[in-house]
Amino acid sequence: MDDYLLFRLYGPLASWGDTAVGEYRPSYHHPSRSAVLGMLAAALGICRDEEERLLALDRDYRIAVRVERGGELLRDYHTVQSPPEAAIQGLWVKSRRDEIKALEAYWAKRGKPPQASPVSQRDYRTDAAYSIAVQAARPEAHRDLAPLAQALRRPGFPLYLGRKSCPPALPLDARVVQAHGLRDAFEHYPSCLAQLGVLLADSDYMAYHTGRMLAAQSTAYYWEEGFDCTGLEAQMIYPRRDRLRSRRRWQFDTRDEYHATTQEEQEGA
Amino acid sequence: MARFVQLHLLTSYPPANLNRDDLGRPKTATMGGANRLRISSQSLKRAWRTSESFQSALSGHLGTRTKEKGREIYQALLEQGVKEKQAMTWAQAMAGVFGKLKVLPKKQKEALKEASDAERRAALMTELEIEQLAHISPEEGQAINTLIASVAESGEAPTDEQLNLLRARHTAADIALFGRMLASSPAFNTEAAAQVAHAISVHKVTVEDDFFTAVDDLNDGQEDVGAGHMGETEFAAGLFYLYICIDREQLARNLSDNTALADRTLAALIEAAATVAPTGKQNSFASRARASYILCETGDQQPRSLSVAFLNPAAGMDLLPTAIDRLMQTRANMDKAYGACSDNAKTLNAVTGEGTLEDIIACATEAG
Repeated sequence: MDDYLLFRLYGPLASWGDTAVGEYRPSYHHPSRSAVLGMLAAALGICRDEEERLLALDRDYRIAVRVERGGELLRDYHTVQSPPEAAIQGLWVKSRRDEIKALEAYWAKRGKPPQASPVSQRDYRTDAAYSIAVQAARPEAHRDLAPLAQALRRPGFPLYLGRKSCPPALPLDARVVQAHGLRDAFEHYPSCLAQLGVLLADSDYMAYHTGRMLAAQSTAYYWEEGFDCTGLEAQMIYPRRDRLRSRRRWQFDTRDEYHATTQEEQEGA
Repeated sequence: MARFVQLHLLTSYPPANLNRDDLGRPKTATMGGANRLRISSQSLKRAWRTSESFQSALSGHLGTRTKEKGREIYQALLEQGVKEKQAMTWAQAMAGVFGKLKVLPKKQKEALKEASDAERRAALMTELEIEQLAHISPEEGQAINTLIASVAESGEAPTDEQLNLLRARHTAADIALFGRMLASSPAFNTEAAAQVAHAISVHKVTVEDDFFTAVDDLNDGQEDVGAGHMGETEFAAGLFYLYICIDREQLARNLSDNTALADRTLAALIEAAATVAPTGKQNSFASRARASYILCETGDQQPRSLSVAFLNPAAGMDLLPTAIDRLMQTRANMDKAYGACSDNAKTLNAVTGEGTLEDIIACATEAG
């Protein structure tokens, strides 16, 4: 019997950063291990510049994701008004409002409307629901998962699903369970949809609709090397570049991500 | 001090296109399988951050808006015995911190050389004026007076460092809440204390098209009876659910533990969020609205938005009361399922007339 930390991630919008160069900021289909460990780090109150602690977190835990609903893609058109150097030269630009005013004055003088600002396309996943399992990767280091669960309940920093504008819409409901293998661990943990069914069932106008509105797609599991995967047979192995090498230099290494999809019935669906 | 302040707002906008995508259509998102209207997080933050209301609220609405500060400073310097030329330069330096100063065109300046002393002095006074109305808080006014006294005594020009301090609090509040702005040095990266979610409509929405024509006034219809221009504008009306989470400890850290400024900043944000709308297409739609319902929660528990209340799109004739009920019901259900998700709460309900913005702000800024 092993210890697993389980919690769920659900929000109307979520974004799991994939390799991004330039203005197109894509989202991966489900959380990466760096996203989950980042969230744990935030919960533990670890600052972005605490390189050692972040590396330790990356070394000491392994994660798996149960995708209950992959959700749909949302591409957001995101512009940023940035004043050219000439617009703010010699001025005391003390706040964002000053910046915008300087920009407007600069273009007004030239008799043109403010020119096209840097445009980016940022991807989000909508209506996506996940459960996450975390296990200590080095049992000899005797990592107790209970403090992690407690940190998720009372986090050191506000949590978000990939981007700061994506707050969780359900309490993470972190629990430490004992189970025989990863699949068994997930079985002990109610899915987002089941939980939403419970949460919204009180109101009669919701019970009927929730299941219909959020019809479950098939359940997918993604996990990494080292888990006891009894009952799960990997159908695909993907390389994923989300193993932390250096937070400061923003460098990641690749690792193997195992994937299996099952056709199991979800409660509440 | 409760660590997290969560604000849930319901704001109803009549037909509008507050935030549009690259095709000019109002932004949307799918939630609970249904299409919803959306105002992006970045659009909300920009509207609040650059609003007159936010600026004014930062000084507790006690500031003055003026272009004449330069002249005031000049006069004060003269009174304290500073020589005219120096007073002019120093006054310009200080006023310049608050906005771009007017500059006389070259030709006019050349012409002044022939003019009388009095005329020249009067004309040069224009160069002490700030081009746009600057907002000066009582504290900033105080800082200016202190600096005037200091330079009058030392006889030396104000240093860049001293000038920088004149509006330090202003920068601090802006960046503490929303993170650095583009012009600031990357060395001063600050973790934003405010988390603003994308605003989503509580109901299903279909974006509508307004087909419009522009008539050519000089076309007498002899040859061609058509319109000068035809086009389509997209718009939609929505009751939006907004969620904001502020980490008070982060805010305090960002403001070097200046509690008074932190509270004022928080109050300014709440006021802006309740009253300021993004400016997209406002000239065509004049869609200005205030929050009809605000719920403020404080606590140390993991913050969570209440959007699940609207997972099943709200519908029916009485949308606002329905939405408010749903929000309250969902909150109660969550507390029942997970234990209390917050320690304290306060509401403002424009439908029933209970609660005030002051109460909300008091709840959010409560000490201990």
